[in-house]
Amino acid sequence: MLSLSLSLDLLVNGLIIGLFYALMAIGLSLIFGILRIVNFAHGEFYMVGAYAYTLIALAFGLSPWLTLPLAFAAGAAVGFVVERLLMRPLYAGYTSWGLMKDEYAVIVTFGLSLLLINLVDKVVGPYGYRGPSLVQVSRIALGPIMISGHRLIAAAVALLVIVAVALFIRYSFWGRQIRAVAQNRLGASLAGIDTAKASAIVFALAGGLAALAGALLSPIFNPTPDVGVFPAIKSYVIVVLGGMGSIPGSILASLMLGVLESFGAVYISYDYRDTFGLAILILFLLFRPQGLFGEREREV
Amino acid sequence: MRRHLTVGTRARARSELVYALAILAAVALAPLAVANDYWLGVLIVSMYFALLAAAWNLLAGYTGQFSLAPAAFGMIGAYATGLLSYHYAVPPLLGIPAAVAIVGLIGLTLGRVVMRLRGPYLALTTLSFGEIMRLVVSNSINFTRGDLGLNVPGILESRVGYYYLMLAVLLAVELGLFLLLRSRAGLYLQAIRDDEVAAASRGVRIVLWKTLAFALSAAISGLAGALYAHFAQLVSPELGLLSQTGLIVSMVVIGGMGTLVGPIGGAFLVYVASEFLRNVGGYQLIVFALFVIIFARFFREGLWGLLRRAIA
Repeated sequence: MLSLSLSLDLLVNGLIIGLFYALMAIGLSLIFGILRIVNFAHGEFYMVGAYAYTLIALAFGLSPWLTLPLAFAAGAAVGFVVERLLMRPLYAGYTSWGLMKDEYAVIVTFGLSLLLINLVDKVVGPYGYRGPSLVQVSRIALGPIMISGHRLIAAAVALLVIVAVALFIRYSFWGRQIRAVAQNRLGASLAGIDTAKASAIVFALAGGLAALAGALLSPIFNPTPDVGVFPAIKSYVIVVLGGMGSIPGSILASLMLGVLESFGAVYISYDYRDTFGLAILILFLLFRPQGLFGEREREV
Repeated sequence: MRRHLTVGTRARARSELVYALAILAAVALAPLAVANDYWLGVLIVSMYFALLAAAWNLLAGYTGQFSLAPAAFGMIGAYATGLLSYHYAVPPLLGIPAAVAIVGLIGLTLGRVVMRLRGPYLALTTLSFGEIMRLVVSNSINFTRGDLGLNVPGILESRVGYYYLMLAVLLAVELGLFLLLRSRAGLYLQAIRDDEVAAASRGVRIVLWKTLAFALSAAISGLAGALYAHFAQLVSPELGLLSQTGLIVSMVVIGGMGTLVGPIGGAFLVYVASEFLRNVGGYQLIVFALFVIIFARFFREGLWGLLRRAIA
């Protein structure tokens, strides 16, 4: 029986989770747009952010509001270094490689994911820490529904950041250059755009956004070395659903997945809640691989 | 041009087979030197991984298709024979072939679907397939006993018996792969890897051959899993973890992708090394992940490729 206040509660909570998914998915989508690869280490950017936020706050007793930008910076730094060290061969020479681009990217990012998870497992330990909440209000009443204070504030932060990123990509100087490179790397470089710099910015931005998602969710899902695996898989589902490379598509698909999971966990099965998205992913890849908003690619 | 290519590929495959057989011969003699049950067990598990690595290499190294589900197929094979014997008292001698058939069929079905996809889409779909299967196995507690693990009956009395059983299967698979790769079908697969569009333009039915390669690779993984289940006598969803796939990928990438020797050598090297590293503090996955990145970035031909150049 669908009671109205329960459905409203599920809808709002689903939308909130969807906002965090969007932070992850936007970065993944940008990376796909500019390099045509899937970053299998995206969940580890999330994990880096969750740990940076939690450990810095615990070690120095800083306010969570100060550590939040630090977590973003940590993720951005990791993203930047990864691009510099490992992604350059994708577009700088190396065309004579027998190993094709897609395969190199899958192996290297998959290896990176394995490396970061096990490195953190050794250095920090396998046990979860609880991240500090942004506000000390435990529950806020929003009309007929109750939401935890941290969840609401974190969702607001996520929403602000998403809007800022969307504006940055749409209107800023670098945003336009990034879109140009995503459309046509060769054409963009002929027009004088520094494509290597655009790729580095995209990776840093994607790393920062995923890290921010990890930081904002760390009081809810305690950071452990493999905490990023599921958010990453969710964001793969989302970018396929929304169309690889499409930012509005990613945002919409994130919200849809969040709501779907929230209702599905109650009305279908709680134990299998993480499999819904995966099942949708396979269905979409079968019947509509270009996603909701993506364009079908053709080979000439 | 084509004839030349064919002859070259075949001669190389033959020389590789000789080295692969040499490795297996050394493995066959190992029980004379290693009397210790623990290290025999390590070598048996290495052979389980060698089978998985050879299966993944058929797909990734020879056909150019990157699946991220090899560990999941191994897990399904292990559970197939395990569940058959647990619920229906099917003897292992029937359970193992049944497991191979089941996993092969699943591979054929999934392959029909995913082999129309390319590059990152294929990796994404197989990754999600593997994770779905693992979640289903670990959540269907009434049927599979979930994370508690499922008890599976053994088939042989002694470790040495299991050792030679695994070795015989590995040898058979390796010979089968050699024969397949030098056949017309093997050339089709390698043509697809080198240039899908060009292969299609010369009349190779790329979706058909890719699907068959996917199904065969799945069936070999299922066989590996089923044998492992009867050796370990306990299977758990952990067999399908992504880190297991990571281990398989690192064996093939470090050993040498697209060669007969690489995955087998890589499997023994990586797994035996991982036992040592585990004993000195559990650094195994860090080390292998680092090697995977370094090899993919700088030494694409793997250790075997480097060795071959040193010999020549």
